Amino acid sequence: MSDYLTTLRELRERALMGGGPRRIQQQHERGKLTARERLALLLDDGSFQEFGALATHNITDFGMADQRYPGDGIVTGLGKINGRRVAVFAQDFTVMGGSFSEVQSHKICRIQNLALESGIPLIGLNDSGGARIQEGVRSLAAYGEVFQRNVLASGVVPQISVMLGPCAGGAVYSPALTDFVIMARDTSFMFLTGPEVIKAVTGEEVNAANLGGPLIHNCRSGVAHFLAANEQAAISLTKLLLSYLPQNNTEDPPQVAPYDPADRMEESLNNVVPLSESDPYDMHLVIDAVFDRDSVLEVHSCYAPNAIVAFARLDGHAVGIVANQPAHLAGALDIDASDKISRFIRICDAYSIPLITFVDCPGFLPGVDQEYHGVIRHGAKIIYAYTEATVPKISIVTRKAMGGSYVAMSSKQMRNDLAYAWPTAQIAVMGAEGAVRILYRQELSKAADPAATERKYIQEYRDMFFNPFRAADLGQIDEVIEPRETRPRLIRALEVLRTKVQHNPAKKHGLMPV
Amino acid sequence: MTPLERLTTGLNITVLGMGLVFLLLALLWALLTLLLRLDRQPLRAPAPGAASSPAQARRPVKLAPELLSAIAVAVFTHQAVLRKQAAPAMRSYWPGSILFASRWIAAGRHQQTQSWNPRGR
Repeated sequence: MSDYLTTLRELRERALMGGGPRRIQQQHERGKLTARERLALLLDDGSFQEFGALATHNITDFGMADQRYPGDGIVTGLGKINGRRVAVFAQDFTVMGGSFSEVQSHKICRIQNLALESGIPLIGLNDSGGARIQEGVRSLAAYGEVFQRNVLASGVVPQISVMLGPCAGGAVYSPALTDFVIMARDTSFMFLTGPEVIKAVTGEEVNAANLGGPLIHNCRSGVAHFLAANEQAAISLTKLLLSYLPQNNTEDPPQVAPYDPADRMEESLNNVVPLSESDPYDMHLVIDAVFDRDSVLEVHSCYAPNAIVAFARLDGHAVGIVANQPAHLAGALDIDASDKISRFIRICDAYSIPLITFVDCPGFLPGVDQEYHGVIRHGAKIIYAYTEATVPKISIVTRKAMGGSYVAMSSKQMRNDLAYAWPTAQIAVMGAEGAVRILYRQELSKAADPAATERKYIQEYRDMFFNPFRAADLGQIDEVIEPRETRPRLIRALEVLRTKVQHNPAKKHGLMPV
Repeated sequence: MTPLERLTTGLNITVLGMGLVFLLLALLWALLTLLLRLDRQPLRAPAPGAASSPAQARRPVKLAPELLSAIAVAVFTHQAVLRKQAAPAMRSYWPGSILFASRWIAAGRHQQTQSWNPRGR
């Protein structure tokens, strides 16, 4: 018996050492932690139960028989984060560069199955050089198994990918299929084809950071949702993000004991919208003043800054925020903003998180480039996502709500539950200048002083439509409120809407204009 | 044996029996007392300046204002971090509460998730 125990203990010891002390030292020299160090930071003390620590590959080609490491370059298991159960996997770069093998796939699939069956979030810490070439098609099939489970778990349990190293080739699809991607600055990058291949095929010269670095994916491509300063910050961010999400699609997110008065009225809100309608203001000021102090967690903060999507808490309950940002492109919607908003709406809907929408949008961004790249199709995604969503939906028009963007941004017709407007709201089909030129074309052409006549008609148009009262009169706005009342109004409304249940027609699945 | 002799014998037996019992009880009492004395922890002499009564112990300790501020900031920061991470100490309801186990919501969510149900899974 003692021999067996000695063997087991030796194997366990080898598994703990990953690729060996030299590789671990190299990993540290790169400014990176090992897989086990990362898991120790992520999980509650003593909560980790590892599975498959002794698994190794059975490949003998290319001298692989001599390169067997218990665990085969990945650590998988179950643990707890702030007392909540999670399934985790962490690729170990110290073992053959964390290359993705068939055994890795089996271990990840096992964890994915457990997460899906137990209804608990799945968190992946990615740090891999790509597929294990020595395994050939086995590793490609292995990818497919993981992708399949990513799709089946999508919208059922939260899936978070934390990128802490390279992720190249087909492996990038797994994080892309998960709900959130967090990238650590300096150490992580993702791309389908590397700089060398691009140079060989298209002749373009680009380095890894400019091709698939964290800034590119957070600010340009929108593949990543969060940018963290380093690995530790990325892991802390994962814990923070998890606090806004439920364990699965049938449960509620954690609710914290209220710490910010529900009846707090922020006087500064009454003056936040500038008197001049062309002056910008920062919608972040509105959001920070309305929601629980320091509770706002912005998603995609760098991507499509003309729209804001964020998680926050209202009286301790998690909510999702969608807002236009008048300080950037005047808050107009474009292709990227449409993608960003529609994706966030669907995430909130999947996990039963109520949606609060702040509207200040002059319309969709005009431009040949936008039209050529399908702004119609992308803009339609917002309408689709809002209409499909069955969670409580409340909108507040702070200033402009023009034309199609008014309809798209959580209007009554998008199955909105409550529509509020501030007295500064301007709800109209189009801007005054454009409308007057169409409505009064003949009068203007015959007028003795066209400029003065135009000014007169513009003022008439403004007086008639550039206020929320006409919309309130028609029932398109439920209540015009003082800006400072926004927080207590939202809390009271959500208190009632919290038990809202709404059904969509039975179908296999809808055909979102993706 | 006369009745008087019988009575004397009975009394002797009673006195001897009871005396033996009481003697054993006295020995047991002495043994327990000895054990208790041996088992008792020696009392430590109070440290100089230490509170000698509960009232003194409750007396506020005088800390430097800077130290007090630092402690307060640390406590609030810790609370804020716990709150942000929805740590157990800050939760009003356990995750998965389905709003106090509302049947309305539980049934509603069950129906909502029925529209996409792949076969064989």
